Amino acid sequence: MDRKFTAARYFAYGLEILLLFILQSTPNLLPELFGGKPLLLLPAAITIALFEPEIPAMFFGLASGVLLDLGYGDNIGFYTVTLALVCFLLGWIFRDYMVVNFLNATAFTAVITAGLICLYFLLFYIFSGKSGAGYYFINHYVSKIVYTFLCGIILYFLNKGLFRSLLDY
Amino acid sequence: MREFFSEKKAKIISVTVVVFIVLAVLGASGYPVVSSGVNFLTKGLSQVSAAAASGDEKTYDELLEENKKLNKEAADLRARLVDYYDIKEENARLWKYYKIKKSNPDYEIMPASVIRRDSSQDFYSFTVDMGTSNGVEVQDPVITENGLIGFVSSASAVSSKVTTILSPDLQAGAVDKLTKDSGVIAGNALYTDENKTTLTKIDANAKIKNGDIITTSGIGGIYPANLIVGKVTGIKYNKYDATRYAVVEPFEKVKSITDVVILTDFKNKGEIKRISGKEDN
Repeated sequence: MDRKFTAARYFAYGLEILLLFILQSTPNLLPELFGGKPLLLLPAAITIALFEPEIPAMFFGLASGVLLDLGYGDNIGFYTVTLALVCFLLGWIFRDYMVVNFLNATAFTAVITAGLICLYFLLFYIFSGKSGAGYYFINHYVSKIVYTFLCGIILYFLNKGLFRSLLDY
Repeated sequence: MREFFSEKKAKIISVTVVVFIVLAVLGASGYPVVSSGVNFLTKGLSQVSAAAASGDEKTYDELLEENKKLNKEAADLRARLVDYYDIKEENARLWKYYKIKKSNPDYEIMPASVIRRDSSQDFYSFTVDMGTSNGVEVQDPVITENGLIGFVSSASAVSSKVTTILSPDLQAGAVDKLTKDSGVIAGNALYTDENKTTLTKIDANAKIKNGDIITTSGIGGIYPANLIVGKVTGIKYNKYDATRYAVVEPFEKVKSITDVVILTDFKNKGEIKRISGKEDN
């Protein structure tokens, strides 16, 4: 079986993750929307996992998670673990039990994005005892979730295009 | 005769003759109005035609060569201009650091640039391009010429994450320069978007008021004394315990900052002091 398209696809995913990391972390590049900026790597990993088997999906989740955690303070932590796990599960579910279509993809991206960002907020904001949690969540995290999800729709089509154009037959 | 002069044609001829006579008289008297006017109008054209007709014209190859040479010179000059702007910017930056160092000889400073401002980072934290290999340590204060900006909350070999003064994670002893009222500077989510922080734990009888300048107290040994924090823009009451806190606006726009200075060492670093006046209590 010719694997060169798979290699090219994985290379393209890697490049995409790297570019999104640069885009996300460059100061004053992405515009703020109602106090929030998107976590581009989060939907990127999720939408890649929709098309790939569980092991590669997990590695792309891992890579995205490491880069996301770098933004928080050079530690491998929350997103590394959660994204690797979530992407593994997504790869497995969509390989054996579900069909990838726009509705499923947007539903999963929305739920996972909102779930992970809220979990992060719970663990690292509320549990660490910072003041003004409600205010900060409404003014920064809600817009961050929505913004991230909207970017996820674009990334879904991008990764769908990559998957279809670089598919081994 | 009268008929002749009444005709339009005759009038034109008469006026023309008069004008010519006047011009001739002026020309003869040293005022060559006509030739000056014509020369003025045709000078550019004459220059072009003269150059085209001159014997020292260049061949196509020579012009091509000259064009290449001029292009190269233009490119060199552009490069020098870019260098000039870089050096000018660098000079302005170093001048700021020099002023900080001059007014605080005990400061060991490490200039740093913001390289990452990640979407995931709360309270406008950012990452700078200096790390432990440059002598930076966790808890080092981060400042600009306008005062305190934050502290190094984590450091790797080549970069460091800075938690800003807008974050509740930053807690620094501070004092009102005018009234000497002391408190603790800590970020508050309510004021982050307005680029403001708060002075908490102020005394019930404190005389702190709008416009007062807040500086670090130096208590705790993490931040040096007398670092400017900002200006008081309001006094508020806590909802739950009716204690007061002051809203403080830093003199630097933390959201858009690009260059900072990390204080790697200063006098009394690590020494815990007691507040004067409360020492005897």
